[in-house]
Amino acid sequence: MAMEHEMHHGDEHPSSTIRQYVMTGILLTAITAVELFLSYSSLPHGLMITLLIGLSAVKFAIVVAIFMHLKFENRLLTRLFLFGLVLATCIMIALLSLFWNDTTDAVGGIPEGQQTAPKH
Amino acid sequence: MAAAHAEPQHNTTTGIDNRKMLMWVFLASECLFFGSLISTYLIFKGDSITGPLPHDVLDIPLTSTSTFVLLMSSLTMVLAVFGAQHNRLGLMKGMLLATIVLGLAFLGFQVFEFRTFGHEGLNLTTNQFGATFFVLTGLHGTHVGVGVLYLASLLVASGRRNGLGKEVALHVDIAGLYWHFVDIVWIVIFTLIYLIP
Repeated sequence: MAMEHEMHHGDEHPSSTIRQYVMTGILLTAITAVELFLSYSSLPHGLMITLLIGLSAVKFAIVVAIFMHLKFENRLLTRLFLFGLVLATCIMIALLSLFWNDTTDAVGGIPEGQQTAPKH
Repeated sequence: MAAAHAEPQHNTTTGIDNRKMLMWVFLASECLFFGSLISTYLIFKGDSITGPLPHDVLDIPLTSTSTFVLLMSSLTMVLAVFGAQHNRLGLMKGMLLATIVLGLAFLGFQVFEFRTFGHEGLNLTTNQFGATFFVLTGLHGTHVGVGVLYLASLLVASGRRNGLGKEVALHVDIAGLYWHFVDIVWIVIFTLIYLIP
């Protein structure tokens, strides 16, 4: 029964109207304006970055849910996309953890005292 | 006779058309592609030995305008999909054309930005910032260019039609997924590269 429901659900057209789409577009523009305002504000660095990334994530979610219709689609597609997104996040965390504080490519070379003696 | 013109049924065990599923799989893989490029940019942007550096060249008001243009193109794209799904051929064609024009405008902004950076002495081989910036934003721009060609092919094909059907609606819907993905990638790039100091 659940499968039957999902199959029919996948064929349906999303129920949003033109007005809802336009309102979503205005909301996205407003969030972008807030982001721009924040980037010029004198907020503490950590707070500003947190707010900017948070607002960016909200915009991302709105476009995926409403414009890409993932909110109305078969849940399998949501899982599929989230899988790619989670893998990408893991790759980003791994790369940034590995190389963010890597001194081997620092300007001027490896700082004195951090160089290891060659093994014989 | 009517049966001869009927569109073929495309039944799958999941209830999702295979072509649509393929686009979502492709977009999931694109997350890994852009995730790696963004990480590379963040790692290397502070390692430049010579300038220009990000704060010397990045023009936030200009890029905010191009971001607005791309957001609006997402709105026109979803309206094109709406037109295709509700058998409104005129709406679909008009919104596809608007999306193409907005996409070209975004590319115009990017070309202008790249040329300005070139005049200020920043190119692909100048420093780590230049290398990672041009690769990331250039590949995103390439995606926008491919999207414009994709939408233009749909618009040309729709010019020969008098009506719409499920197949056309599906093609426009799938193209819309690609276009919106290009938009959400830019949402991330705009925040991480331009807005965060």
